[in-house]
Amino acid sequence: MVVAFLLAGSGLTPVDPDSPSTERIEDLYWFVGFWAAIVALAVAIPLVLFTVRYRSRGRSRTVEGPQVHGSTRLEIAWTAVPVVILLIVSIFTFYKLPGITLDAAAGEDVTKIRVEGRQFYWQYRYPNGVIAIDNLRAPADRLVELQITAPEKDVIHSYWVPDLFPKLDAIPGQVNTTRFRGKPGTYHGQCVEFCGIQHAAMLAEIELVDPDEFDSWVSEEARRQETGDSDLGAQEFNGACAKCHGAQGQGLIGPGLTAATVSNAGLVTDIVRNGRGKMPEVGTGWDDRQMKALTDYLKQRFKAGTSGS
Amino acid sequence: MATVDHKRIGILYIATSLFFFLAGGVMALLIRTQLAQPDMHVVTKDSYNQLFTMHGTTMIFLVVVPIFAGFANYVVPLMIGARDVAFPRLNALSYWLFLFGGVVLLGSFFAASGAARSGWTGYPPLSTDLRGNGQDLWIVGLHILSISSFLGAVNFLATIHNMRTAGMTWMRLPLFVWTIEIYAALLVVVLPALSAGLTMLLLDRQGWTHFFIPTGGGDPVLYQHVFWFFGHPEVYVMILPAMGIVSEVIPVFARKPIFGYKAIAFSTVAIGFYSLLVWGHHMFAVGLPIGLQIWFMIASLTIAVPTGVKIFNWIATTWRGNLIFDTAMLWALGFVAVFTIGGLSGIFVAVFPFDWQTHDTYFVVAHLHYVLFGGSVFGIFAGLYYWWPKLFGRYLNETLGKWHFWLTFIGFNVAFFPQHFLGLLGMPRRVYTYRDDDVWTTYNLISTIGSYVMGLGILFFLVNIWWSRRRSPRAVSDPWRADTLEWYATSPPPPHNFDKVPYVTSARPLRDVRRRVEERRR
Repeated sequence: MVVAFLLAGSGLTPVDPDSPSTERIEDLYWFVGFWAAIVALAVAIPLVLFTVRYRSRGRSRTVEGPQVHGSTRLEIAWTAVPVVILLIVSIFTFYKLPGITLDAAAGEDVTKIRVEGRQFYWQYRYPNGVIAIDNLRAPADRLVELQITAPEKDVIHSYWVPDLFPKLDAIPGQVNTTRFRGKPGTYHGQCVEFCGIQHAAMLAEIELVDPDEFDSWVSEEARRQETGDSDLGAQEFNGACAKCHGAQGQGLIGPGLTAATVSNAGLVTDIVRNGRGKMPEVGTGWDDRQMKALTDYLKQRFKAGTSGS
Repeated sequence: MATVDHKRIGILYIATSLFFFLAGGVMALLIRTQLAQPDMHVVTKDSYNQLFTMHGTTMIFLVVVPIFAGFANYVVPLMIGARDVAFPRLNALSYWLFLFGGVVLLGSFFAASGAARSGWTGYPPLSTDLRGNGQDLWIVGLHILSISSFLGAVNFLATIHNMRTAGMTWMRLPLFVWTIEIYAALLVVVLPALSAGLTMLLLDRQGWTHFFIPTGGGDPVLYQHVFWFFGHPEVYVMILPAMGIVSEVIPVFARKPIFGYKAIAFSTVAIGFYSLLVWGHHMFAVGLPIGLQIWFMIASLTIAVPTGVKIFNWIATTWRGNLIFDTAMLWALGFVAVFTIGGLSGIFVAVFPFDWQTHDTYFVVAHLHYVLFGGSVFGIFAGLYYWWPKLFGRYLNETLGKWHFWLTFIGFNVAFFPQHFLGLLGMPRRVYTYRDDDVWTTYNLISTIGSYVMGLGILFFLVNIWWSRRRSPRAVSDPWRADTLEWYATSPPPPHNFDKVPYVTSARPLRDVRRRVEERRR
């Protein structure tokens, strides 16, 4: 127990798993680690022993050791034993595999969420059309299926929240599927496939809440996004705009935002959908409701004559 | 400048690669300085991306692969008792193309928008999206280097197959020559794939085609298949000759024959063959069908077997020997120790569900540096200390050499071992900053300190080169009482290498000569 406590969070083991898939991957880590330790000892002990025991101690270079050229028996042994170890490792992997891929049982309740990797934010779409950016809210203790992809005009990203599920690439024009079932809590992750200048800023957060709470939240959020009184615009600004234009719109990699530009909804829509200069098409595929959330937010936040703060 | 002598070309190769090694090392230190703490501003985000891209590209294409071509150029003809390589002028062309390709690559830093910035793997659509000619120069530079390596490889194959002296049968061939045979064979097989991939990438970039661009119906994953079909054998191109050097050095400094000559030679062939079947283990996170991932896992695990055979044979060679810890031997034993760790972390990432967790994290960065620095570069230093007297007729200083070894060895482990932990904690590779967390920051700081210690070790090597030029006594022909024919020639050898070549009757011709001379004296 004490050892496990000291190990947790130190990086000596993978991060504390909170989903059956990552738990089983940690089992694999310990299993492979056990055999790797044995092999490491089988190399280190003779290596150290021989280098100490047979060091020259001032003997002349002309003194030769016994002229042994090899041993067929030993060669067979150190070929066969590793083969057996690797077989054991493979078999254990196959044994753990179904629990890692987490296929849904017949009739099981599954929440399916589409995850899009975009330069440089994550866009989530729930089955009822609700959109969320970077921070995902999902039901705890229920199977969640992530359908991970990227828009055609974007690049490859990789979605990973280490406690919950192993990483999977978000590839333009291809949908990859992974599943997890986690305990309530907040989990951190980020993009792990190099995707450009703000790759390091492409963070993700997953909040797992009680399933009933999730169900009522997601239908309520659908209504709010329909009527336009959700915080979607703010999410879009923080996810898609602020990482390059600054949290206050002061300019960072991209230029500073001025009230004159961002209050022009038509211009903003054009730039966000189609990109301009070095700016990628961050809003490719956004529908009108999503675009309106952003332009409304920008108008209200960057009122003429005020700075963004 | 117009030389076609294999020895002078070999030295040109080695000297040029060492210069590029220093350039790549400076990039590494800048990267580690930026990562010493989160949110540092040592370099800009964009410069950082250029630095890690060019650090990887430089170390692989301008240091490890060509320096082995340098060793092979210098040593292989001498080891097999030949007067030169099969195609001396092709050899010169291959060197000058290497230098040219290197200038194009490093010169790309001066392109209007800087060097390439999509990683040494250059994955589309990122590499096709990014503007600026740095990426184009990167492609053209790699094209030139690919042609250079290809010509060199053909030359080595022709030399090894046709120019062995009387009695030098395959089973008497020095193990370093065996590894160069496979090094060259692999390059001939896989470089065309790289060239094809780069050509398609260039055409995509210039807007004429859509091989890899999804908007035109292309497939970005196809590039990864093509690239890694080249890229994984390339890893063995970079490690096999280092294994060859270790197989030469350990027996000489253990005063024993190599244990299991045939096992090591055939392991080299087996590793070369299997390296062509495992490229998919770089792509476990792209969503390949599970059946394919299982295949790539099993093929990858299989490579561990011949690799283990080599390690155990090296250790058995030291059993009951008269171990002389000259610097070359320290590097060779250091190789065995450190490479074993890299091999074992390789088992972890070959198990694909575990790789789903650690792929593209610092765990992989640690693994690849254990194999490519702890493996390839330690082997290169073993070779440099071992063959330096032959190359220049001067010794390297043993005391400076030991400082060089121990600082690099300790610095290396301090720099790279904690990166395993960072990877397990979830730190991705190729990021200019990371989570502001005590544990992450501590490991990163330790890693940065380790990299500076390594840098200090390399400074000792530079001082040692100076010492060797200015202070060293003249080297004798055979300072280590070695077994292979290059030590039969003077140090350095005359342009024609040998006045006469002894008839070869075993894998240790020089030892046979020594024994014949001693018998005659008695």
